[in-house]
Amino acid sequence: MRKVTIKGLLARKLRLALTALAIVLGVMFVTGTLVLGDTLNRTFDNLVGTVYEHVSFEIRGRATLKGVSNGVDSTVNRRPIPQSIVASVRRIPGVQFAYGSVEGYAQFVARDGNTIGGTGSSAGFSFDPNPKLSALRLVAGRAPTTGHEVLMDRATATNYHFAIGDTVRVLLPGPPQTFTITGIVTFGSDDNLAGETLAGFYLPTAQKLFNLAGYYDTINVLAAPGADNVALQRVIARVLPPGVEVVSGQTVANELYQTINNALSFLSSALLIFAFIALFVGAFTIFNTFSITVGQRTRELALLRVIGASRGQVFRSVLGEAAVMGLAASLIGLGLGVVAAIGLKALLKAFSITLPSAPLVFEARTPVVAIALGVGVTVLSAIVPARRAVRIPPVAALVEHSEHEGQSMRRSRVAAGACALVAGIVATVAGVIDGSTLLVGLGAVAVFIAAGMLVPVVARPLSGVLGRPLAAMLGTPGRLGRENSMRSPRRTAQTAGALMVGLALVSTVAVLGNSLAASAKANVDSALKAGYIIGGSDSISTSVPAIVYRLPGVTATTVVFKGDFDVRGSLSSLAAVSTAGLSQTVDLHVIAGRGTAAMAAGQLLVDTNTASSDHLHIGSEVPVTFAQTGPTTMRIGGIYKYNPLVGSFVTGAGFFVSHFNHPLIDGVLVSTASGTRHFEQTLERALGAYANLNIQSRAQFERSEQKSLNQLLGLVYVLLALAVMIALIGIVNTLMLSVFERTHEIGLLRAVGMKRRQVRAMIRSESVIIALFGAIVGVVIGTGLGIALASSLRQSSVTQIAVPLPSLFGFLVLSALLGLAAASWPGRRASKLDVLAAIASE
Amino acid sequence: MSERPLGELTASSQQEPASPAARAAELTKTYGMGDAIVRALDGVDVEFERARFTAVMGPSGSGKSTLMHCMAGLDVPTSGRSFIGDQEIGLLDDAGLTQLRRDRIGFVFQSFNLVPTLTAAENITLPADLAAVEIDRAWFDSLVAQLGIADRLSHRPSELSGGQQQRIACARAMIGRPELIFADEPTGNLDSNSSAELLAFVRGAVSEHGQSIVMVTHDPRAASYADRVVFLADGRVVGELIAPTADAVLEQMKQLGG
Repeated sequence: MRKVTIKGLLARKLRLALTALAIVLGVMFVTGTLVLGDTLNRTFDNLVGTVYEHVSFEIRGRATLKGVSNGVDSTVNRRPIPQSIVASVRRIPGVQFAYGSVEGYAQFVARDGNTIGGTGSSAGFSFDPNPKLSALRLVAGRAPTTGHEVLMDRATATNYHFAIGDTVRVLLPGPPQTFTITGIVTFGSDDNLAGETLAGFYLPTAQKLFNLAGYYDTINVLAAPGADNVALQRVIARVLPPGVEVVSGQTVANELYQTINNALSFLSSALLIFAFIALFVGAFTIFNTFSITVGQRTRELALLRVIGASRGQVFRSVLGEAAVMGLAASLIGLGLGVVAAIGLKALLKAFSITLPSAPLVFEARTPVVAIALGVGVTVLSAIVPARRAVRIPPVAALVEHSEHEGQSMRRSRVAAGACALVAGIVATVAGVIDGSTLLVGLGAVAVFIAAGMLVPVVARPLSGVLGRPLAAMLGTPGRLGRENSMRSPRRTAQTAGALMVGLALVSTVAVLGNSLAASAKANVDSALKAGYIIGGSDSISTSVPAIVYRLPGVTATTVVFKGDFDVRGSLSSLAAVSTAGLSQTVDLHVIAGRGTAAMAAGQLLVDTNTASSDHLHIGSEVPVTFAQTGPTTMRIGGIYKYNPLVGSFVTGAGFFVSHFNHPLIDGVLVSTASGTRHFEQTLERALGAYANLNIQSRAQFERSEQKSLNQLLGLVYVLLALAVMIALIGIVNTLMLSVFERTHEIGLLRAVGMKRRQVRAMIRSESVIIALFGAIVGVVIGTGLGIALASSLRQSSVTQIAVPLPSLFGFLVLSALLGLAAASWPGRRASKLDVLAAIASE
Repeated sequence: MSERPLGELTASSQQEPASPAARAAELTKTYGMGDAIVRALDGVDVEFERARFTAVMGPSGSGKSTLMHCMAGLDVPTSGRSFIGDQEIGLLDDAGLTQLRRDRIGFVFQSFNLVPTLTAAENITLPADLAAVEIDRAWFDSLVAQLGIADRLSHRPSELSGGQQQRIACARAMIGRPELIFADEPTGNLDSNSSAELLAFVRGAVSEHGQSIVMVTHDPRAASYADRVVFLADGRVVGELIAPTADAVLEQMKQLGG
């Protein structure tokens, strides 16, 4: 029986190769994702190792906010520690070195006036010349010793042609300053910190620049050789004031590693979801191919039964075929996956998600998962066809071969499908009413299952309708293509099913994305009065507002801050605005209590959603905790209609600044007197020194909001394109099988005078009908789901539901074109059939 | 009956002394190479007259089907020439051959004559539909009436008996009034009653409408309906009978060892 399986595989090489391609692509995607994830993990792991390689202990402010990630945000969410501590620590026996350090925002400006490095990737450090305590290595020049000197990372120096002795402009929390480069540093052996630029300052200078005079962010301690670290940590802890803790270097490394790992696993999970979608679509193709081949091999399989093969043997033969194919495809996919990892990295980079460069990491887990998935999906998809093969009676070998075409749908299946559809719609509607995205998601799954079961029912009539214009346009070949697409509704439905899933997802994303974009615009319109918005890469110098305020024509400026705080035990984002002239820049719909006056008094304003869900009223006292100043209470001074610009909690800037340590500004809103001309240029000129600022008019701001959304959508589309591609392979595959199956018929048509061109037109018509069928069902389902999802989000950011009809129509046109493309190979093959061989075969 | 003038004209005006409906000269067809060479056709010279019913007979392997395929432009001979009317088919490319088959030749095969997705009526008009020309509605009705398939026109092939299917195939072959119809064992899969009906119709088409027909068969009774029988053996023409009877054909076949 094994021989039969292998012979069977060889005999159907081409078909299997096409089917296998679907698995190859899916496995490739999975492998690529895993390899990329592992590579990034290893890279950051190494970095973390480098940073804390020699640090025995770190002394730092105790985190007061629950849920704040420990590593990355440490300086923001921990209180600075008085620098006097370092002296008392150094006196402890067993301490070899103790060195305080600070870090903060410092961004280089290139010679052409543009900033170097993107959002959140520019770090300033106090430079510690002791190589045992710092990951920064001085590879050329000397350490800075005055307030006008700076160290630069080798990557920046190389890429932007800076040398020792050159001057460079640096953007800082305060006004920008010019420094002389005294040396070049590397981060461990890397030229920079995973893509982050590094600016190293003399310690007292750094303290001043980062508003930390008299304070350190952390103190790193190196234990003397042979010291008892456990005892030493206890001794150090004893000299520390309240609110300051000492932890081992290993602890800090682990925390940092955990933080990075969480961020990365989010990325990996997102990519894996797309990989699974690709595999899922691939499963449709496999299921379809095996269904068709079992149908075509009815006589052969029946003959096997006649000569004594048991049902089990037939079943295992079909599944064995699937397993061998799955394994071969998985191995190829695995190899290509490594290549894909490089591609994925490039893709993310193209969407401005920069990742450090490092050699690829190939964990043992990767091939195991990839092969298990590839083989598993293939075998599972082949089970139903294999069971169909088992049901073929031996007598089928003796009677004239008849396909099971036009099989009537089993009633139970239709009933089950209808039930699933109703359940799905009910769940979705309930989710929309309830605002529960989870319920909508569950409903979506049910709808997909129902669609899978019911699509064969509508395949025949819908193909008929879709084929009519083609038949009218192309004449007989079109009509034959239409008839062919209708002759086996189940096959048409299964082939179109893969495309249906792909396009349903694409349309869901399109509707959701378009609604988000429309909402963003509406939100800006309803929430913002200011004519100009100054934003920065999350780091606007505190000297900016004063400069802007003095410009001619300015009637009001509002400074916006954002930070984390703890409200009644949960971590939330707090916005703060300067209250003078607020009514000219922000449209805050206060519906209870007071607005500006309450904020000026340091009271908390909450939005209506939060007020009702947390049962907050005007005058309620709520317990809050700030990272820098600890627990306190705030009084609710007002309730406003949800405003996407400020979020759910807002207070006055004065209160905010007193509870955060020298916060950087999140944005500045500017209103001008009517008739002020060329104000944008005025602003650009006045703020020319601050190269990181992004000055936008109101219209530009709206557009940029939409642009970033579109960029994200673009990424999702690219990832979903793979699923659509696999669906197309499924169409090619089915058409090839059909051409093979209809050799006789095509021969006859050619004999009675069908031209090659007409044969191709016939195959193309069938392909376009199948593709359009899948696309239409998919787009309809996807649009419904998109609307449902958007509606379920309407309490937060989605205020508008906008169906992008041109895009959806474009998807249909594109699908039809892809259908045309899918038909090219099968069509060529059919038209090249030797007429004589075709009518003489059998 | 309103006939299409051109069809009638070609059939009647060229009856005498005109060129034959089809002609083969020194036609050979070999398969394989060297010692393993098989001569399916070994220098065949033959003419098929217009408005005549010619049967081609021979034992299996005699090359009768190959002859038909080569003369109908379905297969390419190794050497020699063949003509449909005055058209040498070796000079035609695939598009030319396709058009020739569509416009000037009709086919009836032993089995698998009909497209399963089309109705009987659509199958009959298929060549005309492919050429995007109007069919002669009166001729269609007359054919359908003669063949007794008027009540079967909206059925699909799978709903028709074997005899009905072959009659539909005949109608399709005749609808365009081709210069020549090639029939390859048209009764091979039919019972004797259906065979007789079909052959009677074919005979009538020749006698009444002047249709030229070449039929490949190995059934002496079928051959006896023809005006003339050409015998083939080992890829050569080895004899012929004019106005044959079934017994005479059988006798000839016995001599050929078929």
